[in-house]
Amino acid sequence: MIASMTTGTKAAALAVIVGALCLLLEGAAPWLSTYPATWVLPLTDWVGSVVGGFLAVVKPFARLFSDFMSYPMDWAKIGLNAAPWPLLLGIVLALGWRTGGWPMLLMAAIGMALVLVSGYWEQGMNTLALVAVSVPLALLIGAGIGILANEIPRLREPVQMVLDVMQTVPTFAYLTPLLVLFGFGPVVGLVASAIYAAPPMARNVLLGLQRIEPEIKEAAIMAGGTRRQQLFQVELPAAMTQIMVGVNQCLMAALSMVIIAAVIGGFNDIGWEVLLTMRKGWFGQSLMAGMVIVIFAILIDRMSGMLAQERKPQFDRRISWGLVVLGAVIGVATLGKLGNTADYAMLEPVTKQVDAGLTAFTTANAEWLTSFKNNALFYVLLPLRIGLDQAVLPFTWGFMWTPQMSLGLFGLAALLAVGLMASGRVLAGLVVLILFGILETGVSQLPWPFALVAAGGLAWSAGGRKLAILIVALLASILLAGLWERALLSLYLSGVSVFACALIGGLIGLLSAVFPMVWKVVRPICDMLQTIPLFVFLIPILMVFQIGEFSAFLAIIAYAIVPMIRYTRQGLVETPDEMIEGAIASGATKWQMLFHIRAPYAAPTILLGLNQTILYAFAMLVIAALIGTTGLGQSIYLALNQADVGLGLSAGAAMAILAFGADRIVQGFAEGRRRALGL
Amino acid sequence: MSSEKKNAITCQNVWQVFGPDPDQALKAALDQHETADEAAAALRASGHIPAVQDANFQVKEGELFVIMGLSGSGKSTLIRCISHLLHATHGKILIDDENIVSASEKRLIELRRNKLGMVFQHFGLFPHMTVVDNVAYPLRVQGMRKSERLAKAREVIELVGLKGREDYFPRELSGGQRQRVGIARSLVADCSVWFLDEPFSALDPLIRRQLQDEFLQIQEKLKTTIVFITHDINEALKLADRIAIMRDGKVVQIGTPSEIVLNPVDDYVREFSKDVAKGQHAKLHSMMQTGPGLVYGADDPGLRTDMTIDEALARCMSLYEPVPVHGEDGAVVGVVNPAELAAALQVEHS
Ligand SMILES: Nc1ncnc2c1ncn2[C@@H]1O[C@H](COP(=O)(O)OP(=O)(O)O)[C@@H](O)[C@H]1O
Ligand SMILES: [Mg+2]
Repeated sequence: MIASMTTGTKAAALAVIVGALCLLLEGAAPWLSTYPATWVLPLTDWVGSVVGGFLAVVKPFARLFSDFMSYPMDWAKIGLNAAPWPLLLGIVLALGWRTGGWPMLLMAAIGMALVLVSGYWEQGMNTLALVAVSVPLALLIGAGIGILANEIPRLREPVQMVLDVMQTVPTFAYLTPLLVLFGFGPVVGLVASAIYAAPPMARNVLLGLQRIEPEIKEAAIMAGGTRRQQLFQVELPAAMTQIMVGVNQCLMAALSMVIIAAVIGGFNDIGWEVLLTMRKGWFGQSLMAGMVIVIFAILIDRMSGMLAQERKPQFDRRISWGLVVLGAVIGVATLGKLGNTADYAMLEPVTKQVDAGLTAFTTANAEWLTSFKNNALFYVLLPLRIGLDQAVLPFTWGFMWTPQMSLGLFGLAALLAVGLMASGRVLAGLVVLILFGILETGVSQLPWPFALVAAGGLAWSAGGRKLAILIVALLASILLAGLWERALLSLYLSGVSVFACALIGGLIGLLSAVFPMVWKVVRPICDMLQTIPLFVFLIPILMVFQIGEFSAFLAIIAYAIVPMIRYTRQGLVETPDEMIEGAIASGATKWQMLFHIRAPYAAPTILLGLNQTILYAFAMLVIAALIGTTGLGQSIYLALNQADVGLGLSAGAAMAILAFGADRIVQGFAEGRRRALGL
Repeated sequence: MSSEKKNAITCQNVWQVFGPDPDQALKAALDQHETADEAAAALRASGHIPAVQDANFQVKEGELFVIMGLSGSGKSTLIRCISHLLHATHGKILIDDENIVSASEKRLIELRRNKLGMVFQHFGLFPHMTVVDNVAYPLRVQGMRKSERLAKAREVIELVGLKGREDYFPRELSGGQRQRVGIARSLVADCSVWFLDEPFSALDPLIRRQLQDEFLQIQEKLKTTIVFITHDINEALKLADRIAIMRDGKVVQIGTPSEIVLNPVDDYVREFSKDVAKGQHAKLHSMMQTGPGLVYGADDPGLRTDMTIDEALARCMSLYEPVPVHGEDGAVVGVVNPAELAAALQVEHS
């Protein structure tokens, strides 16, 4: 009987047994449900002292580097600030024309005009100055790593792995050690953004080089080129489209990180402005600053995105030069007469109106907004977090949860499970048991032996024994470090958000696949959401729902839902024509085709979307710590404020472990599905 | 083949093995087994792919040598061993008596600049360069001045009939035009050994035939040694001086087109030539009896050694006695029996 069970069934059965034991023995052995504090190793302190010692050694060099980098940074800052704005405007418009013709020029003009009248020109330029210095750094480092990994095959796998891991390390986690290393100041933001933005470049350079048709490489060899000639004259230029995708991603990552790094403060940049106004509750102002960020993000993204197009249209160079010269002439002619850009804040009335309107809106709709928020909190979030046994209170649900109800719940679960098993679906039955168990205890209070076994079992059925061992070992290190409860809290919040994303995003993706009209509306929204730096998501949500877990939940969904929508639609739309024709020939209706043909075929793609959604959710989780979440994100943020390297790194690592584990498990399942479909 | 010509390419016991540990695996297999077949079987059993096993042949100077076989039979791998895009796992490959398997990297670059040229199935054009820059690239890596190399490239572009397209990008060309660029690029540095890996397989039949004809004209002009790969028997028969047939990494037969068509060594080779109109490809000299004391009848239909069997049969169909065959100089060099000619064409159908 056991021999005939699949890996998944065995793992689920084991998890059920362990979970049941933990619940039964809860009274007799309390260490089963809560990991005893005395068993915690001072891992965090060790990390702190080891890394701290290392940082102390490197510090003088870092400070030297910091001094050294302060020159280009000052130049960029002074340059961008001293240059009269008509000149800068001319340059941006010229770039717009050159990359995208009239539409881009118009977009740039409107965008920059808005920046000007927002009154945040100076702060905006300071942010751009940081980006302008960090991006070349990131491009060089990234391209260097990508080329090196391409040239030395033995390096390829380790480099890929480091890049993968770096992608899962939350952004704030970078900041603490850098803060210790470089001291308080803009260099931290600069270095953090260079470190954060280099991986996408490295990844795309490597990918581009690997994807060149082998025959093109062979032709370069047969032409008698040296290795260097092959690389620089043929391979890199031939990979240029992909490399430009890297440049685009690098720019966006740098901008995003520069803005996040503003939490350190001290550079009078636009990210700081958002944070400051948000903290003070000046939402109109913070919306205005957020708008400047969004404008930068959109302009940078669309312009550099044009470079990554297979066939770029050519626009007359002379018009671009004309625009620059015009800007320079106007700039010089009006030198000294332009006044302070901060006085251009023509939108001040608008901000006031926004603030007033917002207050009016929230008061007018207070009732349903509060009940919306409370319903979600009391009936969904809280039960999942601490379980029905604690979340059901007379104050919220109108009655008290009793042990009898627990028994009833488990009885219902057992009934369902037996029914499913009797009809041959053993795995489904076991999963039902597990889900009910989690509902009863709550994610944040899962007994740790159960969590380890369940995660191990999932990993086993997704990727085999090696993955299972790796993931259990990594999770155990979180346990030992004493970060377990916080990790579960993070897991709970990201889990709920991902679940919501999967549900809502999957539905929107499905509708977009079936009705092209829906996609026409959804697509630009998705584009927009993906361009906006994480930070900005917080503003509107905070405006309506105030600080708290629910706002964090919404912010995560708003950011992480996009890949779910995109991949679901793409997977469903991309079914090969022959399969569709085959289905039509067999007389399938539109919906039958969707569920019988398209959905199974799309499963691996949708799983990849889910995977992206998970990574996005973890990334946002840390940012959401700014508006009040518990868990690892909060620890990372606290560590940053206290310059506690040990806590910062450990919590960052724990977060990375959760993201990494989820990533590998979902990828494993996707891979399995792909293999099953013979893709 | 006049035997006094030098060997341009010699392959001796060439092996190319793919897999986890090709060198060790091949060494062990060769130590433990007598024949190449057994060694190959042992390699397969250990999870390796003997993509080329024990290839032995010579290509004469100026010869057009065609390698034919089904897809996956190891043709590309073999030609890449000879052009040293792959380092042969075992064996010797001599190009003009120089073993390139042991040549230094520097020497290989020299050889590629001066001696070797290659054309690829999917063209392998550099997407970021115009036609003329693509063609001039082999000269650019040698450091030739720009004006000079562009002038030379233009000449070759004219030779392949692409005049007027110099400033197009590859993506703006049709498949046939792209392959002309590939051919021009491989010729620009005046190579003496020319490798073509299924150069026409990706093209439409009509364009393919046109390019084959032009290829023959170019070959007529340049007289380079050529290794040409195809999976199309008709192409092989049309172009080849000699054909090597590969199956599963093994060279199973080497011979002139007539030999391949008329005397296939096994069913695999026979299968290839099944659909070929043999009478059009086999030449008379492969069918005639030679030697002293030739006996033939009174009728002389004027057969020559270089006639195809079809042509010959058309002239002697009504004759029953053996007829004489004349050589290039007009002297009688052999005899064929018309009945045997007809029978040779029938063999396959029975
Ligand atoms: N780099 C490689 N690694 C592993 N196997 C290869 C590699 N290149 C070719 N092969 C295998 O060697 C065999 C011969 O391939 P190839 O020479 O491309 O055949 P052909 O050109 O005749 O179609 C095939 O089975 C192919 O899968
Ligand atoms: Mg091939």
